[in-house]
Amino acid sequence: MTQVHPAPAPPTPRREHTQVSRKSWSKRFFGRPEVGSLMGAVAIFVMFYAIADPFRTPGAQSTVLYASSTIGIVTVGVCLLMIGGEFDLSAGVGVTTSALAASMFAFQLSLNVWVGVVFALLVSLGIGLFNGFVLTRTKLPSFLVTLATFLMLQGLNLAMTKLVTGNVATNSISDMDGFDSAKAIFASSVQIGSVSVKITVFWWLLFVAVATWVLLRTKVGNWIFAVGGKADSARAVGVPVNRTKIGLFMTVGFTAWFAGMHKLFAFNTVQSGEGVGQELIFIAAAVVGGCLLTGGYGSAIGAAIGAFIFGMTGQGIVFANWNPDWYMFFVGITLLVATLLNLWVRNRAARR
Amino acid sequence: MKTRNRLLGPLALVMAGLLALAGCSSSGGKQAEEDAAGAGAGTADTPRLKVAMITHAVPGDTFWDILRKGAQAAAAKDNIELVYSANPDAGKQANLVQNAIDQNVDGIAVTLAKPDALTDVVRKAQDAGIPVVGFNSGLNEWKEAGLLGYFGQDETVAGEAFGRRLNEEGAKHVLCVIQEQGHVALEARCAGVKKAFQGKAEILYVNGADMPSVQSTIQAKLQQDAGIDYIATLGAPFALAAVQSASDAGSAAKIATFDTNKDLVQAIKDGDVQFAVDQQPYLQGYLAVDAIWLYQHNGNYMGGREEPVLTGPAFITKDNIDQIAEFAANGTR
Amino acid sequence: MTDNHTPVVELDGVGKSYGNIRALDQVSLAVHENQVTCILGDNGAGKSTLIKIVSGLHGYDEGSYRVDGVPVRFTSPRDALDRGIATVYQDLAVVPLMPVWRNFFLGSEITTGTWPLRRLDVGTMRATTDTELKKMGIDLPDVEQPIGTLSGGQRQCVAIARAIHFGARVLILDEPTAALGVKQSGVVLKYIAAARDAGLAVIFITHNPHHAFLVGDHFTVLQHGRIELDAARADLTLDDLTHHMAGGAELDTLRHELDRAGGPGPQPQLSGT
Repeated sequence: MTQVHPAPAPPTPRREHTQVSRKSWSKRFFGRPEVGSLMGAVAIFVMFYAIADPFRTPGAQSTVLYASSTIGIVTVGVCLLMIGGEFDLSAGVGVTTSALAASMFAFQLSLNVWVGVVFALLVSLGIGLFNGFVLTRTKLPSFLVTLATFLMLQGLNLAMTKLVTGNVATNSISDMDGFDSAKAIFASSVQIGSVSVKITVFWWLLFVAVATWVLLRTKVGNWIFAVGGKADSARAVGVPVNRTKIGLFMTVGFTAWFAGMHKLFAFNTVQSGEGVGQELIFIAAAVVGGCLLTGGYGSAIGAAIGAFIFGMTGQGIVFANWNPDWYMFFVGITLLVATLLNLWVRNRAARR
Repeated sequence: MKTRNRLLGPLALVMAGLLALAGCSSSGGKQAEEDAAGAGAGTADTPRLKVAMITHAVPGDTFWDILRKGAQAAAAKDNIELVYSANPDAGKQANLVQNAIDQNVDGIAVTLAKPDALTDVVRKAQDAGIPVVGFNSGLNEWKEAGLLGYFGQDETVAGEAFGRRLNEEGAKHVLCVIQEQGHVALEARCAGVKKAFQGKAEILYVNGADMPSVQSTIQAKLQQDAGIDYIATLGAPFALAAVQSASDAGSAAKIATFDTNKDLVQAIKDGDVQFAVDQQPYLQGYLAVDAIWLYQHNGNYMGGREEPVLTGPAFITKDNIDQIAEFAANGTR
Repeated sequence: MTDNHTPVVELDGVGKSYGNIRALDQVSLAVHENQVTCILGDNGAGKSTLIKIVSGLHGYDEGSYRVDGVPVRFTSPRDALDRGIATVYQDLAVVPLMPVWRNFFLGSEITTGTWPLRRLDVGTMRATTDTELKKMGIDLPDVEQPIGTLSGGQRQCVAIARAIHFGARVLILDEPTAALGVKQSGVVLKYIAAARDAGLAVIFITHNPHHAFLVGDHFTVLQHGRIELDAARADLTLDDLTHHMAGGAELDTLRHELDRAGGPGPQPQLSGT
């Protein structure tokens, strides 16, 4: 690339100092999108730690992490998509679709379950491709496009399962070839000292790490922030906006596939009606974690903390043995408090 | 701008293709229907009737699927054309009843999940001369609504039977897991268990739409209270999740459940689940349709129009599991 | 001040319609190196459409478009960029929430390492951004700050610096002085002149004839999608330019009618409004 420097002698060496010193460490720290949610997570953790005896055991922490990881894995994809400025309402049932596809494909054709796993991956990526393609071609809002996909998948899950198996749940695949190795990958436990930790926790952390690296240290990450922040500007400087968006939808497909495989190999069978409503949990976790609903801002680590807040609240209420009639109310109020705290921290950071 | 418009056409075509595909799958449903019919014996030679079955089923629930198979078997035997429809929303369910009245069917079988929303439209059907039977839900309201009969389980009675069984098993502290907060029938079951059970009974709400969260929530509860020695679930898939929760939590709690499915039968065989209370959905569907046939062709009232016909609770344990396993494999138990 | 060289960018009889609306009609333009070509016109005169065609954002319906004498048909801004035609838009094409250095390199990121570990060379990009901006007289405390926090003039200079840094031969500036005060406009105009002296072909879109006359070598005035004036600097004065900007022949007709009408005469007939 030839660099043409007009090398103009600066008209006047007029330096526009807005601030003399470099940003302080603390300002940088508090400016991160995930800091608010981190504060919220710490506050909730301390609260449950203080009031619930059983919450303090390593076994309980393992349960909390497991619950968080099953939310968190899909939230990684959903968060990247939200930074890229779009929604995916089909992610919740997409998990079930993937599990059904793997199970039925392998069972009906009596194949090694790994063939079903690969088939399901193709199905999930295909759903993402479909969402992304329709969105970029029609310019319809993603809310509408993915709502349509959500409804279609909900119907397909039931209709295809009924058509293929004659029932509304899939047959157990636990005695088929490849089941044990697939279970080892997607749904086993790892013994750490006296505690058994589900493998999904490690996958979750790995996905968050990869997503963070991609976002902050790769070209594609730069593009994701740009298409979510201002798609027209990004297009004008040559960012492939449509391809980036389609790729993001396919990433959500990938995470939904992974969650679906966990579901399948942890429970052997899949109910075709599952997954409805989960899409909002994923989006909420991402928002609690600092992703802007309008796109262009957020972090994968924040989304992970958001998923952790969800997992911790859901289980913590049980550990604290609060009146179960109030369960949903407590979940709601904890989320509200976490989000408000997040907002407060961010505003203070901006004013510093 | 131009490319976008050029692509809209093919896209619309693809969508139309998808719609056509959806059409194919509904004909597949018919295929399944015929399969179910094949299970039955001979066919009655009485004139063909058209019966509408309208439930509050959530799509994709195994329980309702079995119930529907029972109804289909009866319809095939009785030379009845069965029109099945369902909506969990009471207002929409009422619309479906109205729809059946408009079709001028020969009989309606309906679940009175939310009786207040349905009594008006049921009255309309009766005024139009269409006989109506109730099943599954509405034990306390069917008579007042003037239905011909009722086929179902008294959830409180079933819960109490469940509780007594737990007493016999020597349980001290039971956890009743409800997968949908505020669901009347489910709450009634746990209330029944609580009433008859002599030890300590606790309720736990879980998110039934998400299995991993069901499992971890039960697990958390077992970790929170090590005294729990029995888990009662209100649906077969949740019992299977509870089995995993107990093993992951290192708890010795035993598991029993309401309702069954194929995998649960296997779990009872293996001793993972101690027993199940079955309200026999197949029987509910079958009897509801058959009752209309009997009324239309012979003027009979099942239960004498006075008493409900109870289809449960029927206990499934290791003792009778072998016999039931066979039918469960067909998806009818 | 025209020369005999092949123009870098040349439009010949270009037309463009949006549905029933005729945005451009028979527009010809020749842009040379070492020159500032000013395109003037009121709002809605077709300036934006013209630069969108030149920069590859939109296609055209009629006529021809040549770069270095070779006919081209761009399908994306990337195609134009690859031929050294860079555009600095009115809205600057920056993403406000993103840091200055990420904006500077957006779409042309520097990477290091091999796939799958190919990653952004953050250090180099930060340093380059800082150096390039210092050349422009902008010293930011931190190139990590979101570009949305900079002033309008600063953002303009970042955008121009970016285009020049990425090897632009043709620099399209869409209303770079529109939102600026006199002092900041001066800074931008000096850079336009500097860019021309460095050998770039500059297309300067503006509706301010004073700004245009300060730096322009060639002037094209658009009106209702047609060319109202096409003249070299030597052939006109600021007054001429202002006159044509204000409506030219149409204005003459109007003045003539108003002069003649001492009283309530015939209704003035304004054509084309």
